[in-house]
Amino acid sequence: MVSSFDSGLVPELASSISEVIHLFLGSPDAHVKPQFMDAEVQDILTRITGLDLEKVFRPIKQELKPPTYKLMTDAQLKEVTQSAREQAQRLLKMPPVLPERKPINDVLSEDKILEGMDTAKYVFTDITFNIPHRERFIVIREPTGTLRKASWEERQDPHPVFKEENLKVVFVQDHHEDVLDLCQVQFELDSSEYIRVHAATYEDLEKMRKYDLLRSTRPIGGLVWYLKDLCVRPVAPNLFRLLYHPLNLALPAVPLKYPLIYAKRESQRAGYVELALQAYEQTSAESSV
Amino acid sequence: MASLPCDESVYLNMVHLSSFLLKTYHGGHIVIRLAMAGHKQSNRPFYRIVAAYNKRARDSKYIEQLGSYDPLPNIYNEKLVSINSDRIKYWIGCGAHPTKPVAKLLGLAGFFPLHPMTVTETERHRALAEEAAPEDGVKQQEL
Repeated sequence: MVSSFDSGLVPELASSISEVIHLFLGSPDAHVKPQFMDAEVQDILTRITGLDLEKVFRPIKQELKPPTYKLMTDAQLKEVTQSAREQAQRLLKMPPVLPERKPINDVLSEDKILEGMDTAKYVFTDITFNIPHRERFIVIREPTGTLRKASWEERQDPHPVFKEENLKVVFVQDHHEDVLDLCQVQFELDSSEYIRVHAATYEDLEKMRKYDLLRSTRPIGGLVWYLKDLCVRPVAPNLFRLLYHPLNLALPAVPLKYPLIYAKRESQRAGYVELALQAYEQTSAESSV
Repeated sequence: MASLPCDESVYLNMVHLSSFLLKTYHGGHIVIRLAMAGHKQSNRPFYRIVAAYNKRARDSKYIEQLGSYDPLPNIYNEKLVSINSDRIKYWIGCGAHPTKPVAKLLGLAGFFPLHPMTVTETERHRALAEEAAPEDGVKQQEL
């Protein structure tokens, strides 16, 4: 009764998720959770990302030029493929996952004498050339006379794509990657909006099991990190089937007890994980019979 | 052109920018003021905060633009003001004089201490508003 998997299920994805779980359990003494930017984690995540040259260098929308053909020897072809791989690796550099930034609500001064001066707020922006946008002084003088710093939301208007309804439409059309790219351009890496949109994208991806869409692209590291964080919640049955699919038994498989230990120690949804494990065991028992 | 503007006397600032030919004025000094920004035909003011020679016309050639001020509020009811604090500090350090409206804006921004006229104006505004309100009340009673 092993259901037919689409080719989108990535065996490496499975084994790498298990390796990430390994990392968590491998050092019971370490009280520090592995962070996204650790070397080991990055290594695993790079391996998951894979290096599908076809997909990385797929034609992006640019002006039409007729294709160029070059005549090369085998050795030259090897060199060119190698340099293409290196460039692909650079293109696939993962955007870091940062903790959410703190909201700004500094009040610089309260001047009650200025109350009733004007019905509009004054927004003062500092246009000095060399300061990064985060450190810029954007200061608002309210009609009540309070002088305060502008919050993150006031500094930037969100793109209409990022509202809930529009996100749903976009996901149906399989534009996850574009959404994530737009999101990266639009928002700072640690804004709450960015994290929210990413969370929504990852949830939708795992619901629809569309892992293949993101396979050789930049955000997949973030996706795996998120899945690990989610503690394998509704994905659980699928994920375990991933892990223990007969095809994957060729790879160094994770013994069944690791997810259990993980569930007890780190996961917040221990119940779900155990249920999922039991479901899996039942189905595997049925299939083997 | 190695002479620093700040070494000269306050009223004869030699600006050592070679990018454009500057006329030096006898007894002129540099001011930071608001210049109307070329929307003469429309009924819509927009000001640039500008460092210019005192003798020059208000809207004509200035030395450097230091920001902008939009007196009409936008859809979020905000009046947008941009200030290049780095360059304003430079020009003030070279002896430029800000005019009254610029000083008020910078006081509201927190760059300068609050201008005393801002407070006076607020009080006058409030007094007017209070006079208007009881009058409306009286008129309604009459009706």
